[in-house]
Amino acid sequence: MLKVDNINVYYGQIHALKDISLEVHPDEIVALIGANGAGKTTTLHTISGLLRTKTGSITLMGEDITHIKADKLVSKGLAHVPEGRHVFLQMTVQENLEMGAYTNSAYTKDGILDVFNRFPRLKHRRNQIAGTLSGGEQQMLAMGRALMSQPKLLMLDEPSMGLAPILVQQIFDIITELHKSGTTVLLVEQNAEMALQIADRAYVLESGRIKLSGTGKELASSDEIKKAYLGG
Amino acid sequence: MNMTLVSNLINGISLGSVYAIIALGYTMVYGIAKMLNFAHGDVIMVGAYMCFCSMTYLSLPPIVSILIAMVVCTLLGVIVEVLAYRPLRKASSLAVLITAIGVSYLLQNAALLIWGSAPKTFSSVVPFGSVSLFNGDLIITGESIVTVAACVVIMICLTVFTKKSRMGKAMRAVSEDKDAAQLMGINVNKTIAITFAIGSALAAIAGVLLCSAYPALTPTTGSMPGIKAFTAAVFGGIGSIPGAMIGGVLLGVIEIFSKSYISSELADAIVFGVLIVVLLVKPTGLLGKKITEKV
Repeated sequence: MLKVDNINVYYGQIHALKDISLEVHPDEIVALIGANGAGKTTTLHTISGLLRTKTGSITLMGEDITHIKADKLVSKGLAHVPEGRHVFLQMTVQENLEMGAYTNSAYTKDGILDVFNRFPRLKHRRNQIAGTLSGGEQQMLAMGRALMSQPKLLMLDEPSMGLAPILVQQIFDIITELHKSGTTVLLVEQNAEMALQIADRAYVLESGRIKLSGTGKELASSDEIKKAYLGG
Repeated sequence: MNMTLVSNLINGISLGSVYAIIALGYTMVYGIAKMLNFAHGDVIMVGAYMCFCSMTYLSLPPIVSILIAMVVCTLLGVIVEVLAYRPLRKASSLAVLITAIGVSYLLQNAALLIWGSAPKTFSSVVPFGSVSLFNGDLIITGESIVTVAACVVIMICLTVFTKKSRMGKAMRAVSEDKDAAQLMGINVNKTIAITFAIGSALAAIAGVLLCSAYPALTPTTGSMPGIKAFTAAVFGGIGSIPGAMIGGVLLGVIEIFSKSYISSELADAIVFGVLIVVLLVKPTGLLGKKITEKV
């Protein structure tokens, strides 16, 4: 479904991603874990076209998307929920969802119903300005907004960040559900324990390089991972 | 009732309506591209010249001439954005500001080359004369009526456009968060160009209305109203559409009242003085938004 081959990304002089290659197969949940500043977010930004790679290529469902701009990728089946949610704070919940279906307008009505089924809390707040929502609700809105484009591949960047444990569990349940209903997921998480529990496979990033990869189970039981990311 | 007072008020609202229409262009472009387009005032002048030429040399009816002016200004606005501002999207705001001032001088001097420095006498596009009320105690010019009406209609249309239409919502999305808007599939450059197009078309209308009321048209006709309208946009809260309206109308009223009751020479100083006071008390302007972000 997604193939990232040997990309190198720079911020000015800083070499942020070094020879990153990874793959996401259809119907998988793939997690990208690692410490702060390891390059997880940069990887997602490069895949979704917000950043450019100097070398290598990115292929989405057989099509080379290395040089395609972010706004053209949505209609190709890629949705990206950015870190920090980035909902449109001054627009209503409903308007945020409408923006999610910008390239998929015919689906707007059904999509909103579907999102409200998945996230009943949003339904009660549909005419509220997104800036007045709680952090958890904003995360739900950001995910709902991404679903409005009916993506084949959903990329989630730190969906659990800043949320209370009970909400974290809820968000992970939702991710599992989405996966069951046929969405492929590329998940970036600092909460490695939670991520490895639901991931089919995972990559560990360290200082811009892929250090380890394997199935979720393998990595969760690896001593190295336990020490570095799972607190023991 | 004091009819001079009422008459001054109406003149103030009418002048303020022109400022408001210009200020909309400033505020919309600022909202979406986070830049001050100081060439906006000169687009007004180009619009007025286009309308003038079309009426005088081609003898076309006013309404057709206004449409021609709007089309030319729309193209001009988009060309300026694509050629001058788009390459600077990631440059410092100072570079963009200097470019905007450069475009402003370019337009003024191009107009000077084409039309010369001698004022052209603009004939009003308003087909009817003044309305006389209270046995002639209160006279309202046709230009005032049309200007205020145009301002109200534009305000309503723009509000509905930004609140309800798909493109209007996309404009709000881009003005709030460009990266997130791109991730929705919105073409940011195209949306910014459309904003310039709308602002410039409005500038053409403002130019025609302004010169219908104050008929001496020169290459610098747009600069002072441009600066006043910029002031109005800041006064009302830059980035806010109703703010531009309120700021424009208040500024026009303050200007006319200062001219009538205090001193013509001091009027501009008073206008800008009020701006300074407002910004000291409320730095975001009257309706400026304070954005609170949840982490």
